[in-house]
Amino acid sequence: MCWLRWEVMSVTYFKLSLRNARRQARDYLIYFVTMVMASALIYVFNGLAFSNEVRQLAQGLDSLPLVIVFASIVVVCIFGWLVSYSTRFMLTRRSRELGLYILCGITNNQVAQLFFLENLAAGVVSLFFGVALGGLLYQALRAVVMSLFGLPYRFALTLSVPSVLLTALYLSAIYLYALQKNRKLIRRMKIYDLIYYEKQNEDAVIQTGKGRRKLFLISIVSGVIGTCLLMTGGTAAGLIGAECIIFFLFGFFLSFASGVPAFFDRHPFRKYQGQNLLVFRTLTAKLATMGIAMAVISLIFTATLLTEGSGFMINGLTRSRAADNACFDLYLSAEGEKKDFTPYLVYIAENIPVEQSLLYRIFLSGSTQVMDYICEHTAHDNYEYDSDPVLRFSDYAMLRTMAGYPAVEPEPGKYLIHCKSFLEEPLRSYDGTLSLNGISLTAGSIHTEHLSQGFYDMTNGRDYILVIPDETADGLEIHHTAYAAKTAEPVTEAQLAVLSDMSDQDYDEETDPLGYVFVDTRANEENMAAMQILLLVFPLFYIALALTMTAAAILTIQQLSETDRYRRQFVLLRKLGMDQRDMARALRNQFAVYYTMPAVPAVLISVPFILKLCYQPEPGVMVGISSPAAVTAISLGVFFLIYGIYILLAYTSLKRNVLPKRFRK
Amino acid sequence: MLQVQNIEKYYGSRNNVTRALDRVSFDVADGEFLVIMGASGSGKTTLLNCISTIDTVSAGKILMDGVNIADLSEDALAKFRRERLGFVFQDFNLLDTLTVEENIGLALALNHTDAKTVQERVREAAGKLGIADILSKFPYQISGGQKQRTACARAMVAGQSLLLADEPTGALDSKASKNLLEIMSAMNRDMKATILMVTHDAYSASYADRVLFLKDGRVFNELLRGDRGRAVFYHEILDVLAALGGDVSDVF
Ligand SMILES: Nc1ncnc2c1ncn2[C@@H]1O[C@H](COP(=O)(O)OP(=O)(O)O)[C@@H](O)[C@H]1O
Ligand SMILES: [Mg+2]
Repeated sequence: MCWLRWEVMSVTYFKLSLRNARRQARDYLIYFVTMVMASALIYVFNGLAFSNEVRQLAQGLDSLPLVIVFASIVVVCIFGWLVSYSTRFMLTRRSRELGLYILCGITNNQVAQLFFLENLAAGVVSLFFGVALGGLLYQALRAVVMSLFGLPYRFALTLSVPSVLLTALYLSAIYLYALQKNRKLIRRMKIYDLIYYEKQNEDAVIQTGKGRRKLFLISIVSGVIGTCLLMTGGTAAGLIGAECIIFFLFGFFLSFASGVPAFFDRHPFRKYQGQNLLVFRTLTAKLATMGIAMAVISLIFTATLLTEGSGFMINGLTRSRAADNACFDLYLSAEGEKKDFTPYLVYIAENIPVEQSLLYRIFLSGSTQVMDYICEHTAHDNYEYDSDPVLRFSDYAMLRTMAGYPAVEPEPGKYLIHCKSFLEEPLRSYDGTLSLNGISLTAGSIHTEHLSQGFYDMTNGRDYILVIPDETADGLEIHHTAYAAKTAEPVTEAQLAVLSDMSDQDYDEETDPLGYVFVDTRANEENMAAMQILLLVFPLFYIALALTMTAAAILTIQQLSETDRYRRQFVLLRKLGMDQRDMARALRNQFAVYYTMPAVPAVLISVPFILKLCYQPEPGVMVGISSPAAVTAISLGVFFLIYGIYILLAYTSLKRNVLPKRFRK
Repeated sequence: MLQVQNIEKYYGSRNNVTRALDRVSFDVADGEFLVIMGASGSGKTTLLNCISTIDTVSAGKILMDGVNIADLSEDALAKFRRERLGFVFQDFNLLDTLTVEENIGLALALNHTDAKTVQERVREAAGKLGIADILSKFPYQISGGQKQRTACARAMVAGQSLLLADEPTGALDSKASKNLLEIMSAMNRDMKATILMVTHDAYSASYADRVLFLKDGRVFNELLRGDRGRAVFYHEILDVLAALGGDVSDVF
């Protein structure tokens, strides 16, 4: 009997839910699309993590699933908040309806069950569409990964069953969390609160208090101080500044609704200027009900920007280092001149198809004049070399050939400088004479291609090296010996492993402290970089995307839920004779302020932090597309691109539905 | 049928208490048409909300057929609302997403009635209330009077025996008001429905068998219609209102 009743009821309720969903589609479409995107996002990244193809790209990728699972847990928490917030919000919007149901004799428990069914349906549908969309997006991501590892990409639609299952698992976690939170709410709902919810809300909007006004003032002051502190740039000041700003966020958004009317009370002229009145009354009404949410959204934006900034910074750092270190297909070096390379060369000759190779030495000039000059004229002052490193011109010419750079003319009587690009500018004005073996050399041309100059100890100098005519190098102290080769095919991981093992066994710290042979390959450097990007940068963007989508979706849901109220307001305003262009402007201003408010503090907090982060690595790495300014700009760009899409969607929807007909274009 | 015993209702926090109802007591007999009158803010809505289980009392008892509704379990309460109670709000409270027919059938459909019976009973109720021809329209497509008749139909379609109405004519013009009051009268007379209606309007009140006057949350006076005609009763009500200090001009 009970079951039968349940069945009839659920059919009816299902119809009601459908009606409801259709009518609210306009308001909640963006939420639904966000959930589909969320499923797609989860599917794509888990597909990546559990793809055999990807895991076989490099040995170090065994930890990828772990990293992605960890990031997924973070993402589940983020989307969990989105879903629980949105469902709660929709629930309150339907409170009158639910109140009527209860008045008609349905128990709270039954309402909770029906609510569960609705969410189950929403979850299943977003999973379905999400996996479909994710299948396509996964191919895009696969293409990126393949190009990262320098492998060819071929389009192939696949469905990753483990990823589908995981996505389902994560989605159920998200929805169950939201359900759990809301079920308590439904159980405790009183008819009175439900039926009179809207009225209570109106009262809350009107509420203003002295305390809140004070909070408003204090938070503004704290915001200004915080921004100033952040701008000074010190770490301690920055931290205090950030705290001030967080306080500002909560204080401001909690008190805005009463602070602004207070402001207008004291400045009545401002109130009636332009659309101020309309814009701010609309905003205060909105903010009165979502103060904390606004502050949280602002913090989420900050987290997004910091995450994206770190992502781009690590990406730039990794690629830049790899580009510099991966100049030669195979590279060996050992300190001093005594090390016997023969066993290595024999192995190489027998196993690796070498096209060109060079065994050469890095000398020391005996003076530190260039080093001193660099230390004096740049921020960098950390060189392990005892004196300026030097390379013979013939070796240099051969290295250039192997690296594929254009040939350089010898310049008799001169020394060339090969340095990283960031030193070109300061060194151009250096014209010191170099005295070697009694011969004086004057400054010649400067070259800045990548030449393995730095990250490790025994490379072609650190940041810079002086190239001198061969004969002037006789008798100079030898810093290290190196072997570079160009091979017909990339050196495999296995071959590198053999060489590294040889080096490990060869090395005896006590008897031969100088004997360690450093082995590296271009393939290895590139793989390591690709791996780091996959393991660090991808998860960061995974999280950043989830963050942006969540915050932007909540803002948009809130804004669109007011569609009906705005429409009534504009109809009334038109009757009162408001110019239609002014209406459009008021709507636009309201929109601009609403969407700018949470973004401004986020930008103010995160930009100094990203810049600071980018100045951390050794100089010469964060340059060009990875320069601090560029990383900051790109992070902001990516963030505002996604944010902008949400804003644009919300604005078009609102404009179409709110402004009186004649005005639509 | 209904006994209200010494109920009190307080609103607000500790330092700012509003006493909306102050030891209100009265009985409602089966089949009675009782009107509760009072100025705005006198506690009428609060009283009705307490009786309809929308709200709870702070003190006192409300007995329904001798049972305290505060003692009912959640399921029993749901059953009570489902089978006994019909409620008409001042602002209609129809669901905009549903047609008139669906709004009326909501309570039935949400409960255990099969689809065919729902339709029959909705048609029947709509016929009695003169809204049979607008069943397929949506609330925004019909007039205020039609909306209120829809709400009435919803309140009686499941055969509910107690109809609670909170200023049902408050948002209607005088013609629509009259029409609605006639219908409620007929429901009371022909279907033996017990009606408890709240209003601040003497004309509406003149349809009652008995009028209770509420002032500042207390029962101030009581007026029985007896065998008098409606016009006479109406003037008596106006007299009491004048004594009550109510603004007579605001009454009509
Ligand atoms: N939710 C509430 N919170 C605080 N006070 C309330 C609330 N609802 C009603 N009141 C107060 O209780 C008194 C009676 O209100 P109400 O029953 O709505 O009066 P009526 O319906 O007769 O106009 C009024 O003074 C009103 O301000
Ligand atoms: Mg009232």
